[in-house]
Amino acid sequence: MELKIIRLTKTFDSKNAVDDLMLTLSNGVYGLLGANGAGKTTLMRLLCGLQRPTSGKITLNGKNITGLGERYQSLLGYLPQHFGYYPDFTAYEFLLYISALKGLSDTAAKKKSAALLEAVGLAAERKHKIKTFSGGMKQRLGIAQAMLNDPRILILDEPTAGLDPKERVRFRNLISAFARDRIVILSTHIVSDVEYIAEDIILMKSGQIIHFGKPQEITAELNGQVWEFAVPAAQAERYAAAFDTSNLRHTDSGKTVLRVIADRPPAAHAIQVPPNLEDLYLFYSREAAGQSTMLTQRFRGAADQADMLTQKLTHKSEDDADQQHPFRTIRSRTEMERKINDHTNCNRIMNHEGGIKE
Amino acid sequence: MKTLISFELRKLFSRRLTQAALLAVLLLSILFTSSTYRNMYAFDGKSRDGSGREAVEIDRSIAEKYAGILTDEKVQQMMSDFAPESSLDLHGMNAAYLYHNATQSAAFRRFSDLNGRWNGLTVSDVFGDEVIRIGYINGWLETSQNMTVIFLVLSLVIITMIAPVFSGEYSGVDQILLTTRYGRTRCAAAKVLAGILAALSVTAVVSATQFFPALLLYGSDGLRCSILFAPAGFLDGFIPFNLTCGTLFAYQILLIFTGAVSVSGITFLVSAASKSPMTALAVSAAAYLLPALLPVSETSSLFRYLTLLPVYHVQFVSLMSIEQISGGILYALWAVPVSLTFLGIGSLASSRIYAKHQVK
Repeated sequence: MELKIIRLTKTFDSKNAVDDLMLTLSNGVYGLLGANGAGKTTLMRLLCGLQRPTSGKITLNGKNITGLGERYQSLLGYLPQHFGYYPDFTAYEFLLYISALKGLSDTAAKKKSAALLEAVGLAAERKHKIKTFSGGMKQRLGIAQAMLNDPRILILDEPTAGLDPKERVRFRNLISAFARDRIVILSTHIVSDVEYIAEDIILMKSGQIIHFGKPQEITAELNGQVWEFAVPAAQAERYAAAFDTSNLRHTDSGKTVLRVIADRPPAAHAIQVPPNLEDLYLFYSREAAGQSTMLTQRFRGAADQADMLTQKLTHKSEDDADQQHPFRTIRSRTEMERKINDHTNCNRIMNHEGGIKE
Repeated sequence: MKTLISFELRKLFSRRLTQAALLAVLLLSILFTSSTYRNMYAFDGKSRDGSGREAVEIDRSIAEKYAGILTDEKVQQMMSDFAPESSLDLHGMNAAYLYHNATQSAAFRRFSDLNGRWNGLTVSDVFGDEVIRIGYINGWLETSQNMTVIFLVLSLVIITMIAPVFSGEYSGVDQILLTTRYGRTRCAAAKVLAGILAALSVTAVVSATQFFPALLLYGSDGLRCSILFAPAGFLDGFIPFNLTCGTLFAYQILLIFTGAVSVSGITFLVSAASKSPMTALAVSAAAYLLPALLPVSETSSLFRYLTLLPVYHVQFVSLMSIEQISGGILYALWAVPVSLTFLGIGSLASSRIYAKHQVK
């Protein structure tokens, strides 16, 4: 089975939500990553036929999905990001209703609905009305309805939103068991979910695909640019703002361990660590959100990050009345590092896993 | 398909607003029947008078005395029996407006002068060649009048019930429904079928709450009698045809159903095109009611076409007042093809709009 996206564009009010996209998907699990507004949901809706493309087309085994109609829909399972429900239906009734719409016989519908309620951990609540459900329970019911017809193409928009860790593990296992010989596309902001399940990652930004490949392939872009180091807790926020920080962890010793993306060591004692998908995702997400203009420039190789940081902090010091802050008088990268080192009073050695040894 | 229709019916009847509206119209129907019955009054002209059950018994016993074909002899007998004992009885009013009981009122309306004496007209002078069967019809005519109000309200209840059929799905469930195999085909058909089934069912139930109590309280004899010998203030001034009360009821029930079918068609269309159930409700209600406010008089050539709009099916007197097609068939029968046209256009267009709906 081959799902092909050919020069697909979807425009809303002169803005391209999906911009001239080309992509070929065969059986496998695909993780769709991107910041809010990157075009993930629009792409999923286009794949489901919920929206008509402005231009371009989607084909399944060479045939335009628009012309396939019911034949395409019968292969499809979709979990929307935000979906409505019938508050007075029980979970079981809701699944029976969707089963009927998916063309299942009454017997098959009952059997499949019961099995899926069991699989998503809602068997005990099968006769409860949906209006009594928590957000996580509704989400699990949404996952169940998407799988009722054993879809060959399963599209899940933020499937793990609202699920607790135990439910997320259950979901991962469910999808892993289900995914064989099917196309599964899932989007999430919880990158670890994608890392566990997805074989390939599609990273979107501004309606375009900026990366597509195996997690280890696409994270290679950040090789040698992910660092971990510890600073006093009081200065952690300042560092986090200055660098593209993918993680920030407080320790019992009063220090904070930062994981940052930079093409040079952000501190003298910073240790290089292998990049993961979260680093990549966060880097692009922050860039898209305009929170790290400086790092955007850095990533493009346009300037020296440390010098820019120095300039930025120096500039801030001129504008800021609070001259007592340790960063305010920094004039050079070397001086900055010295200051940081002074303040952290760092006598620690960091290992490559990011752990701290006194 | 049956499964889908049953789920659609479940959705229709599980909405709180629909349940409240249906309960309200049923209560209104019961209230109208009981209050009409309790407020009836009759006086036999001599010694017996009463209200409610007593009034119905007095009216029925007087009507039975003259029951059958109306003749000049019966007219004379009535004028004699109901003649005011003195002019003081009239308090200076026209005797045609004097109401002691239903038969007296019907007789005076046509055969009395200002003082309650015979006006010299014969049955053939008043009714021509028509054969007028008389009897107790007062209770049935009261019921018919009540129904025009109750079914106007019921039309709005049907709009309330059907308005969310398509528009209610646009709040997010559409994303699930439209990606299913039958989401754009049988789903829409099931919605339309369930909607029309629901509309016809509630119309039948509310009709039954009017018809059967009337049958119990007023008996079936009056259904064979002409509406032309009605007490003052009833339909005879507007529906100038020699119909039996039963025929009138049959037409009225038919028009109530054509009204329900028409209003369903309009609401399906508006629902599919609206983004929210409240918008669908408001627009459908306006489209249904506004023709009643148009300043078109009975003398206008547009009147006969205007009365074919759904609101006039329920407010049936205007539609029933237009001349017969032929052989005793009333113009009102045009309401049947008109309602089917409304339903056909509404259901086809709504299904098409829904099938082409794009999630925003």
